Amino acid sequence: MPFELIKHDTRIDFVGQSRYAVILSTALLVLSLAACFWPGVKLGLDFTGGAEIQARFAPEAGADEGRIRKALEPFGLSTADIIRIGEGQAHDFLIRFQSESAGDRGELADQIRDALAKDVGAVTLERVDFVGPKVGAELRERGIEALLIASLLLLVYIAFRFTPLFAPGAIIAQVHDVLLTAGLMVVLGREFDLTMLAALLAILGYSINDKIVVYDRIRENMELHTTHDFPNMVNESLNQTLSRTVLTGGTAIFASLTLFLFGGPVIASFGLAMATGIVVGTYSSLWIATPILLWLHARYGAKAPAKPTRKERAARS
Amino acid sequence: MTGLRWKAATTLALTLILSWLAAANFASPETRRAHWWLPDQGMRLGLDLQGGIHWVLGAKLDVAVAHELEHLRGRLASQLEEEKITPTRLAVDGERLVVELAKPEDTARARELAAESGVLESAEQGDARLVYRLTQQWRKEVREKGMLQVLEVLRRRIEDPIQGIQDSVVTRQGEDRILVQIPGGQMDRGRARELLEVTGFLEFKIVQDSAPSEELLRAKHPSGIPEDQEIVFERDKQTKRAIGAYLVRKAPDLTGDYLSDARVQFDRQQRPVVGFQFNAEGGRLFGELTEKNVGRPLAIVLDAQVYSAPNIRERIGSQGQIEGRFTSQQAADLAVVLRAGSLSIPVTIEEERSVGPALGADAIRSGALASVASLVAVFVFALAYYRLSGVYAAIAVSLNLIYIVALMSVFRSTLTMPGLAGLVLTVGMAIDGNVLIFERIREELRRGRTPRAAIKAGFDRAVLPILDGNLTTLITAIVLYQFGTGPIKGFAVTLAIGLVTTVFTAVVVTRVLFALYPGERRVTELSI
Repeated sequence: MPFELIKHDTRIDFVGQSRYAVILSTALLVLSLAACFWPGVKLGLDFTGGAEIQARFAPEAGADEGRIRKALEPFGLSTADIIRIGEGQAHDFLIRFQSESAGDRGELADQIRDALAKDVGAVTLERVDFVGPKVGAELRERGIEALLIASLLLLVYIAFRFTPLFAPGAIIAQVHDVLLTAGLMVVLGREFDLTMLAALLAILGYSINDKIVVYDRIRENMELHTTHDFPNMVNESLNQTLSRTVLTGGTAIFASLTLFLFGGPVIASFGLAMATGIVVGTYSSLWIATPILLWLHARYGAKAPAKPTRKERAARS
Repeated sequence: MTGLRWKAATTLALTLILSWLAAANFASPETRRAHWWLPDQGMRLGLDLQGGIHWVLGAKLDVAVAHELEHLRGRLASQLEEEKITPTRLAVDGERLVVELAKPEDTARARELAAESGVLESAEQGDARLVYRLTQQWRKEVREKGMLQVLEVLRRRIEDPIQGIQDSVVTRQGEDRILVQIPGGQMDRGRARELLEVTGFLEFKIVQDSAPSEELLRAKHPSGIPEDQEIVFERDKQTKRAIGAYLVRKAPDLTGDYLSDARVQFDRQQRPVVGFQFNAEGGRLFGELTEKNVGRPLAIVLDAQVYSAPNIRERIGSQGQIEGRFTSQQAADLAVVLRAGSLSIPVTIEEERSVGPALGADAIRSGALASVASLVAVFVFALAYYRLSGVYAAIAVSLNLIYIVALMSVFRSTLTMPGLAGLVLTVGMAIDGNVLIFERIREELRRGRTPRAAIKAGFDRAVLPILDGNLTTLITAIVLYQFGTGPIKGFAVTLAIGLVTTVFTAVVVTRVLFALYPGERRVTELSI
């Protein structure tokens, strides 16, 4: 017998449970919104503009934040953010500060390097990024545009491939997924830069992928079993695809976690966001997208063979 | 039957070709050139993986419009002068050209002349006051021409045949931005930055008067300096302090536009100088200029700074030298700038990102580690959960990875750090296609179908959601490509290629494997 993680005769009442899920989601979304004010959204260099230097010191130098800060004083940068990155005794430090023009800040980097070499120890500047404020603002705008356009295109796609009835559920689930994932990242204090944006867009894609697999099964069941009542059929479809959803989600989460663990500072955030997004996306496929579909179908799904309307049912009983 | 053999054969051939293309990426460029059966170029590494510097420069296109208006103003001024008309005001104000005249018949004539130019349109109307601006069309053209000129000059500077930088990239981004990438540690940041930002406008001006400092110079002209003249300075290269002040006319006697070449040369004391050569017209003008001014100093001014001001000893033909206490490197850089020409409008650095090679190597290492970890996990899972069919899935996923690398080599796409993350993600998600098919097959078996029928039904039914799902992710990849910059574009490309190959390996390759075993055989149980 084939090994089954999810038994094929599983019958979880996703539809029935969805009311609790909606409550949970609402609570989490409110929490995410609150998190935007405290601890607040941390925007990365790409969106704020400014300067960021990743300085790598030789282990013998015994570099620490204090000494670096002192070395930076002559440049008026003693209030810069200085963060040690990597674990334990790592020797990479991130130095962040605001600056208006990218041009002369470049020379500044060389001067900083010389000062650090003199006052702290042998150092190489592994990464020097300057982003002018104009570019930062533009990237912010384009980032939001990208999210909106992608959502719109996906919505149109669903409306075409299935019926327009399926689309609202998908779009609301998408918005839910992105907001919740972004919110959780804010709560965890992760930085929002271009890589995070890429992750959010990738999550959009994965989430829709998930919905499509479920919708496809619903459509197939609609064609085969015209006598089933819709909610029950949706439930069955969800259960039938559950195995696949869990397995694929599992491997994808695993891959994302390897990124988080081995990826280095920039990619780790990406991995964490992806892992979170996949969990959230799977959750919304099972418990969030479908209630909306059901509601719309109950009100507008005239094509389906007539279920007794509430009036008729009331009249019968 | 023959259908299957054909499919299997083509799949195998494709796999072999693509594997060879993918493997070729590990050969060094010399090996590649040496063997005809290795492609010359393959996948490129982004700056964030190989180290290098990346700039986004903004071109001030408004300045191009200002220059054009100034040029039109000058032309109108001389046209009016020819007709003995003196305007009370003729000036450029922002993006407007203002003409004010005393007599109404002059106003009419001015209006005619402006209309003749074909590129001015009236912004305001008044009796004695005419305000013009450039037509929409012309304004767009002027901005476009400015942009193209700047792009061309920067390209020539960076890709200079004599000291150009290998594998550098200078491309346009949008309406007014230029992307410059210099890979590897080939040029130090400061030098490269100067090369990009310096305007490079060379002027030759006869010196009217000079003194060691500005105060002394002004002291020689107690009633002020004439309106058409200005003071320019010579500065020490290290300290930037002014070491000489020169009084020159504002308009140059000759400009660098007439240069045809510039090279580093060494004078009699083996000091580096920049030797330049004029074209025919320039040579003639220069000859005249030097002939008329023997004994006087000639200031060589670059971007309003005096480089040197030697005395003219005799008539000079078409060649000359610029000396100025250069280092060899500085001389070479100046030669490049002169060869490439000057920027007609200023550029500013809006973004500068540099990555050292050590960081890039770190990223590649962690990316490789993550891919291997994901791959192993996927293998273990597939085999444990789906047994023999899991082996097929494992083969499909491995081939998937090889195909992606191969296709990226064919398209010469750039692998960036996020792209590497995309690869790892694709490894994790690629199994989805096979999972969909296998789960379906299990279902069909449960419903009582024979193994062969179950396999067929599984594939038939699962292809659609696989296609749909990957297509939607493709849509987000395309959006990412449009809105992202360098490294993110790399991610989008890797993701997109991965989606296409995933569909192929999940559907075609696995099908072929199933057709090979169990194929047409009668089996009672399917190892799935």
